[in-house]
Amino acid sequence: MDPIIIMQMIVAGLFGAVLYTIIGVAPGTDETAVLAPVTLALILAGASPYAILAFFISAITAKKLTDSIPVAVAGIPGGVMAAPMVEPAMVLKQHGLSNLSIKKMASGSVIGTAVSIPVSVGLAMFIMPFADTIVSYEGVIFFSGAVFLALLTKNKLLSLVVIVPFALLIQGLRELYWATGIVAQDTTVFISFFLGITIGPIIFSIFELLNQEKRKSMPRYGFKEITFKKVVTTEKFPNPLKILTRKESISASFGSILGSLTFFLSPVGMTVFYGELLSRRIKDPVKRASRAISTMDSLTSATYMSGILIPLIAIGLPLSPVAIGPGNALFNAPPVFDTDNNIHHQLTMSEIVIATCIGAAIAMLFTYYIAMKFANQICSFVFKLVPHEALIGLFMGLVFMLAFMDAGWVNLFGVLLIGLVAGLLHRNGVNYGVMFMILYSAPWIMGVFGS
Amino acid sequence: MSNQRKNLVEIWEDHVHIKDLIVAVLLCAVPALGGYMLAPSEPPMPLAIGLVSAFVGFIIACIVIKPKRHLEEIDEE
Repeated sequence: MDPIIIMQMIVAGLFGAVLYTIIGVAPGTDETAVLAPVTLALILAGASPYAILAFFISAITAKKLTDSIPVAVAGIPGGVMAAPMVEPAMVLKQHGLSNLSIKKMASGSVIGTAVSIPVSVGLAMFIMPFADTIVSYEGVIFFSGAVFLALLTKNKLLSLVVIVPFALLIQGLRELYWATGIVAQDTTVFISFFLGITIGPIIFSIFELLNQEKRKSMPRYGFKEITFKKVVTTEKFPNPLKILTRKESISASFGSILGSLTFFLSPVGMTVFYGELLSRRIKDPVKRASRAISTMDSLTSATYMSGILIPLIAIGLPLSPVAIGPGNALFNAPPVFDTDNNIHHQLTMSEIVIATCIGAAIAMLFTYYIAMKFANQICSFVFKLVPHEALIGLFMGLVFMLAFMDAGWVNLFGVLLIGLVAGLLHRNGVNYGVMFMILYSAPWIMGVFGS
Repeated sequence: MSNQRKNLVEIWEDHVHIKDLIVAVLLCAVPALGGYMLAPSEPPMPLAIGLVSAFVGFIIACIVIKPKRHLEEIDEE
């Protein structure tokens, strides 16, 4: 491979690791909302597919490593995926073991990532012979995906009922843009609708603030209180296998394999299920919590890696919650990538594996070391200097810009409309996965009604 | 802190001040859209300039807006 390409991958990997080590710590940052827009922007700005993949893998590995730091230090999840880990981490914190907690989680995460890469490649090779069949049923598969994910959500009935109306909204806007000549007939507006869904919950909350009655009745808060325990950090480069006990390493590796096998399921659900299952029989609360967090972190990291690698290597369509959410831009980012021409088609399997290993290795070396050594400093830096308003502002700004890019001024309102509907649905228990599946299958669903 | 006025709302799992939120959105959105439109129109330029301007807006927002979090630091044995 060309040394220039390798250099590009290393630089992109470092950029991803540094950026998402910081973002990973910020409370409440949803993986899809923070990863998708930046990846998309890099692709559209013309970065090479090798660099993009290395960036994405590094970013996701770094984010998975750091989003558990605020859990251990302050009991606040750094992301949606870290939420199930709050409970066992709090047990360790009460016993004065935040320090241990960070080490166990980060080590679990490293094991999860390392084990899942070979497992995912193996699984992908197994699926590959069926890839053409899978691709030819794209519309049906995404529609079935929407139904399947709907059945797993909190609000099953609503999730099922909204499939057709939401598809109508998406396809209706596209047809309107074509009919009025706002976009050319051969262009399908996708990116900005995707982002509209992603930031829907924020848009909906902001619109609620416009209603005076609602605003007055909203619960008001003072500053967010965060109790912050200073943890003792290690000087030497820590070895994950020494930090975890033998049993913890085994259950973390097993969790990683299981996470890779269930790449098409929701990672949060699997994490809770498996973490509880393995640690339930342990009596000592500290040992149980320690086993639970290392296993859970390993499983989420593995689900993330396999969720992106398997569809990328074998199929070329985003057929997992991770691929359809945070990794979506790797499959579909018109005009650079579409479902017939994306990273799956442009890179060979070995190139994908090399870019993945470079990205993952950089993030593991950089972020793992930083996380172990500077956990206190990173947390207080982010908590004290990065206001939540600025994060929301940045993502809103990116979405407005991409909306304008897709279909001009009117699309700012189009994206607002989609965001409002998506936010309302999200508030009522319809998760992102269902809505993204509908976004993909909308043309097929409307086609069924048309014929 | 009980002596603080309770004037914040919760969005996206953290507490924000409504006026600061409007300022932050404007600080990021205006440069992003402005940068995109004013940039030379060869393909990667509008997006690149828009992104950089949005990020500059984000840095300015970090400087002018204070985070609404109160940290209580405890030393651990």
